[in-house]
Amino acid sequence: MVNSQRRSAFISGASGGVGRGIALALGEAGWSVWIGARRAAESEAVAAEVTALGGAGHFLYCDVTDEQSVAAALAQLVATDGRLDGVVHNATSGLTATKSAPLANFSVEEIWQHIGVAMRGAYLLSHLAFDNLKQNGGALLILTSEAGFEGKANLPVYAGVKAAQRGFARALAREWGPHGVRVNCMAPLATTPAMDRAFVTDPSMKARVMGRNPLARLGEPLQDIGRAARFLLSPDSVYVTGHTLMVDGGSCPVT
Amino acid sequence: MDNQLALIGYDDSDTLHLATELGARFIAAPAGGDQAWTDWRADLRADAGALRIVVALFHAVSAEQKLAEMQLESWFNRAEKPLMHWMMALGGAALLCQDGGAIVAVTDDPTPLDSSGFAAEAAVGQGVAALVRSLALSEGKRGVRANGVLTPCRLIKRPPVAPSPPLSGFPGTLGEDVLSSVRLLLSADAAYLTGHCLPADRGRSW
Repeated sequence: MVNSQRRSAFISGASGGVGRGIALALGEAGWSVWIGARRAAESEAVAAEVTALGGAGHFLYCDVTDEQSVAAALAQLVATDGRLDGVVHNATSGLTATKSAPLANFSVEEIWQHIGVAMRGAYLLSHLAFDNLKQNGGALLILTSEAGFEGKANLPVYAGVKAAQRGFARALAREWGPHGVRVNCMAPLATTPAMDRAFVTDPSMKARVMGRNPLARLGEPLQDIGRAARFLLSPDSVYVTGHTLMVDGGSCPVT
Repeated sequence: MDNQLALIGYDDSDTLHLATELGARFIAAPAGGDQAWTDWRADLRADAGALRIVVALFHAVSAEQKLAEMQLESWFNRAEKPLMHWMMALGGAALLCQDGGAIVAVTDDPTPLDSSGFAAEAAVGQGVAALVRSLALSEGKRGVRANGVLTPCRLIKRPPVAPSPPLSGFPGTLGEDVLSSVRLLLSADAAYLTGHCLPADRGRSW
């Protein structure tokens, strides 16, 4: 094991979109970034981008709903870097962008899929990373959504699990604070492949999203979202915990 | 009994007490697994429904536990399974509730100041709050209101973390704090309130 001079972070679901933006932002700052995802080719490409920016990018196969998979991924990271400074739970169910319907129209199977990625993933990453995070005063960051504040008429299951993540993080911040480990959430609004698909699924969605955005644009995954996430993972935010940072151009009226 | 008021919940003493106090028709939530919930929700389509629906799912209360020490099975039973049940039950409530009616969800939720050791329950409580807001948005177009009551009264057994709540008697009771909040939200006095979740916690949070 090498105790790397680089800070080391694990990011779930970072093969594209917001997760990629966070990975690149950490790469800019020289972090060792481990892309935990299922899509190897896309993840390897993001890892290469991280390295090109001055960080050290790595791909790890990881299914966040599987305890053994998460444990193996984190073990490999720590065995290589000798430290773990940040964990980002960014992975989201693929159903989010493809099904738009009221609550009574979701099947048990669809509900489990959302709960599996959002909640099982949050539990496993937290449960299994804690011992290493507390060695260096690390930070956990969970990617939630404005839906977790205000609900969504046609994305109710997504809204439910995203709010659940906020409640989880707020409680965990109190539990882990005495150990020097911070827990925060971030609610981004960004141009991503998932958002593009959602606009196709619900053609009226884009007008609704942009109509209330005072900055009149979607966030860019690296510059707007990734760097804000980097702040929450870095010592610059050492006195911030239990918080949900809205990085949405001012869209969400609830804070 | 008020035929226009129904209460969905588990067949346990806390729930039956609420139903009795409210004079509500009791609709038992399934004790079984996924297929039982699917069948239950499908069967509701044949129900005449009601103008006012209360959903109160009281899961078995567990002692506070650090997440690092919580095994997956415990996490599943404290967080994942309860939230799935809430999603199915509130979907069922939307099917049952007649146009112009009201839905009130009653859920356990640890007050933020006292939530250490209750990460699973905090997840469920806040998840239910967002589900309520989602119902308010989707059902509002037919005049249905959806609100919630968040209560720590079954969860918090230890003295509150300092400072003390502004009102005495924290964490409150089902028979006082919760029932009165439910009655308020079901009443005509709340005719223009929707999407709200009242923390019935003696002023501990807001």
